[in-house]
Amino acid sequence: MTAATWLERLAHELDALGVPAADAAAIVVEAESHLGEAAADPLASFGPPAGYARLMADALAPEPSAAGTAGSVRAAGRVRARAVAVRKRYRGRTVLDGVDLTVRDGEAVLLIGPNGCGKSTLLRILAGLVRPDGGRVEVDGAVGYAPQHGGLVAQLTPCEQFVLFGRARGLSREAAVRDGCRVADQLGWDAARAPVADALSGGTRQKLSVALAALGAPDLLLLDEPYQGLDLDSAQRFWELLWDWRDRGRAALVVAHAADAIERADAVVELGGAVALRSAA
Amino acid sequence: MKTTDQRPAWLRGVLDLCLLALLDDGEAYGYELARRLEELGFGTIPGGSLYPALLRREKLGHLHAEWRAGDGGPGRKYYALTPAGRTALAQERIAWRAFAGSVEAALATTEARR
Repeated sequence: MTAATWLERLAHELDALGVPAADAAAIVVEAESHLGEAAADPLASFGPPAGYARLMADALAPEPSAAGTAGSVRAAGRVRARAVAVRKRYRGRTVLDGVDLTVRDGEAVLLIGPNGCGKSTLLRILAGLVRPDGGRVEVDGAVGYAPQHGGLVAQLTPCEQFVLFGRARGLSREAAVRDGCRVADQLGWDAARAPVADALSGGTRQKLSVALAALGAPDLLLLDEPYQGLDLDSAQRFWELLWDWRDRGRAALVVAHAADAIERADAVVELGGAVALRSAA
Repeated sequence: MKTTDQRPAWLRGVLDLCLLALLDDGEAYGYELARRLEELGFGTIPGGSLYPALLRREKLGHLHAEWRAGDGGPGRKYYALTPAGRTALAQERIAWRAFAGSVEAALATTEARR
């Protein structure tokens, strides 16, 4: 991304966050001056415009309970998804044996457990793709689901996929591309000029998958190992995206292995025992 | 084991303090501070960490900011320590030295057992 584009998006994001025009102008000019002198890549030095805008907005108006960190106390929102005593068998093997789970608005819940414990199956059940053998599943509202693999159209560019998936969610062509590129941007990826999905690296395909799931801001985001194998910086950006998501009052359920994720999520549910390790509020 | 640069993570906790300390020498603008920290061995200071820290301290009343015209380019925002900032620096310097001492003590203990 060129410095000019980056600065332009920064101005746009500051405006969207309600930062007063004079403060926003000062922030943009200071960043411009820095980029000019340091001859630095804006993404490498400042991160995605959306993230930097939020950091500066927070610095301008510090809130008593700083948002953006796990463990900050928030009022629990309404229940967005609930699984009660869900059971599922595959080829004679019990995958899920009486699993309970609740995801509320404003909460990023982490789902962990050993390989083969049914994490992906539970996500697919919540997404409505798989029917459970027993138990009860309630999901209230629109769902965005990013599978661990696949789910992309191999021969379409990211923007074409945004348009295609966006149409299904009632988004105009422009809104879909803007939404998709914005999420990609938060993940540190410039989707606007990217080639067809087949030509993307595995990590970039994961980012595309997340951007497609988040398109049109569904009520519940279901992400299956969204940053598996990506670098630390991508993992951090991914969690910042999730914190932003839940700070806007939406719900998310994420399957991940990484030990660091436990500290970052609002609540953790472990399968293969199905114990709630820590629950928010 | 892959070694990663731990300096960014460590710096996160003390960047504010280092900025106050550098500004004790006199006013400076953002990029100038980044360069001086780099010279001190902190590695590259991302603008994404630097400016939020400066703005936070400005809003706390620890720094006073003033705009000056740059040479040809856009203007520069110069930061200077306020009396409140000087007090904060003195307090945080003491707190940091105690903490750094604890870290050093912990490292020395395990070393002595070898």
